[in-house]
Amino acid sequence: MFAYTIRRVLTTIPLLIVALYLVHVGVSYTTDPLGSLRLCLPRCQDGYDLVVQAYDLDKSIWVRPFTWMGNAIRGDFGNSEAYNQPVSRALRVRGTNTLFLAVPAFVIAAFLGVLLSVYSARRPYSVGDYTFTGLSFVGLALPTFVLGLILQVILGVKLNEWFGVKPFITGTMKRGSIGEYISSGTLPILTLAFVSIAELSRFGRAAMLEVVNSDFIRTARSKGISERRVIWRHALRNALIPLVTLWALTFAALLGGSVVTESIFSWPGLGQAFLTAIAKPDLDLMMGITILASIIAIGFNLIADVLYGVLDPRIRYD
Amino acid sequence: MTDLAKPPATPADSARSARNSASDAREGLADAPQSYAQLTWSRLRHHRLAIFGAIGLVIIVVLFIFGPWLNKYGFDERNVRDRRQGPSREHPFGTDPIGRDLYVRILTGGRYSIRIAAIVAITSTLIGTIAGAMAGFFGKWVDAVVSQLINLVLIVPALIILLIFSRKFGANPLGIAMVLSALLWTRIARVVRGVVMQFKEQEFVQAARAAGASNMRIVFRHILPNVVGAVVVEVTLLVGTAIVLESTLSFLGLGVQPPTPTLGNLVYQEKGEINNDPIRVLIPGMFVVGIVLFVNFLGDGLRDALDPKTKVEKE
Repeated sequence: MFAYTIRRVLTTIPLLIVALYLVHVGVSYTTDPLGSLRLCLPRCQDGYDLVVQAYDLDKSIWVRPFTWMGNAIRGDFGNSEAYNQPVSRALRVRGTNTLFLAVPAFVIAAFLGVLLSVYSARRPYSVGDYTFTGLSFVGLALPTFVLGLILQVILGVKLNEWFGVKPFITGTMKRGSIGEYISSGTLPILTLAFVSIAELSRFGRAAMLEVVNSDFIRTARSKGISERRVIWRHALRNALIPLVTLWALTFAALLGGSVVTESIFSWPGLGQAFLTAIAKPDLDLMMGITILASIIAIGFNLIADVLYGVLDPRIRYD
Repeated sequence: MTDLAKPPATPADSARSARNSASDAREGLADAPQSYAQLTWSRLRHHRLAIFGAIGLVIIVVLFIFGPWLNKYGFDERNVRDRRQGPSREHPFGTDPIGRDLYVRILTGGRYSIRIAAIVAITSTLIGTIAGAMAGFFGKWVDAVVSQLINLVLIVPALIILLIFSRKFGANPLGIAMVLSALLWTRIARVVRGVVMQFKEQEFVQAARAAGASNMRIVFRHILPNVVGAVVVEVTLLVGTAIVLESTLSFLGLGVQPPTPTLGNLVYQEKGEINNDPIRVLIPGMFVVGIVLFVNFLGDGLRDALDPKTKVEKE
């Protein structure tokens, strides 16, 4: 297992470097940090030269990534122009904000996902099962921007119009006190959780149904163990094995920052920072977010595979 | 397991034949043999959700193609006097802040979205099938190159790549279709590669090779027909993904640029109106939901239907 992990990491690092190189070239190719400076050229030659110097704009775009990588290895990810601070600090602040959405969304999704799959497996093809399966189909088809807008209108605006209560703040982030955090974070968290619940419960239902119909469950029942114990101790534990890998991937996706949800609810996390970076354009910040999101994705993929091997003794990585 | 029991020592002929036909019927031997395609079709026909999805998709696509002609307005025709109207007989979905008819705009937008999805489906299927088949068939360095390319796309979160490139290339429908295909071909390639690897060592391929068939002929005549099923399912689901990704990019203002409407940028433009008139803003989004829902129904049905292990329900 240890050797496998090391080998995976070692094979991924060159790929990551190539990926970052290509993203850097892509960003340099598609954006122009000199855009507005060009207009005032003879007058602001000094500033122009400064920018050219700072971003190596006099070199070919195929060479520029190496400077960035050289600095990145030494821990210097450059300066974010959009936020006027070092990229590493911007990422820390924004990343914490994203964590405040991602962690609760994941916990809710994982918990409800398991509950729903257990329910569906205990009463397959019942009205409740059909309702939840149908809802999960809708949840998988709902693009985040539609769901986010719907929640924002119904829970954020209409609730106020109809009943005169305004339990949720939309359009800003407040985490001064726990109450403020709940009222501003609930809607984005719900948006993120809903999609994940749809995916997790659908997958979990299939996994549970497969386990419930297997021989060792019949054995457990024939021994006279209570149904509750059969489901929660015998069936669920085995159904969780494939679910855990999906959990890891879901969590990784949430951690990378949801561009759409954060932009709808104006949550200053990584996703929104990325949009700001693109609009600016802020190359260093873009590269910083890319490398962070990639490492999270790679890391959790690896964790998923390793966990799978740890939880299921039948899986061997040699 | 009664058919394993030995027949009685002295059975009456009539009784025996009755028993045989009964067990034949039970094992399906009495039916006329059906080809794989026939079986697939009959499984699909009995899959209620799949048929529901297929019909829904056809309705939506027909609406997108012919719908705009049923209304006298052009998709970028302004009538400032009629701006910000709710649904009426004249404007079934209302009008936008500069008085353009939203019914025509949404259906035209849907037309563009469907067209983008179709281009993505075709190009990524072509690229994915060829790359996947080459990787699976030739192995060695070809496989290494293709696999690493696939992994490369998986390492960086998809939306980041899309956001970066759609800024420059995504402004027109064809450009965004190309950007999406450059990302989504990997899904097809992975499936095709797996199936080809599974088939290339089988006897019928060796027989073809022994008969002197060229590599091209083996791949295209003998192996790729076996891939069709898996690819059809993947392409169906890919159409849904492409529409969601396209509308998401357009919603963020980075996809197709106005005045060309798509389902995503219509929501983006009307976003500010959502508090006053949510229905009007959300209609394009609902079309996206509808398309993706139907596509997923159809895809799931196709997956079940193409699986030889699924039993056909008898009427």
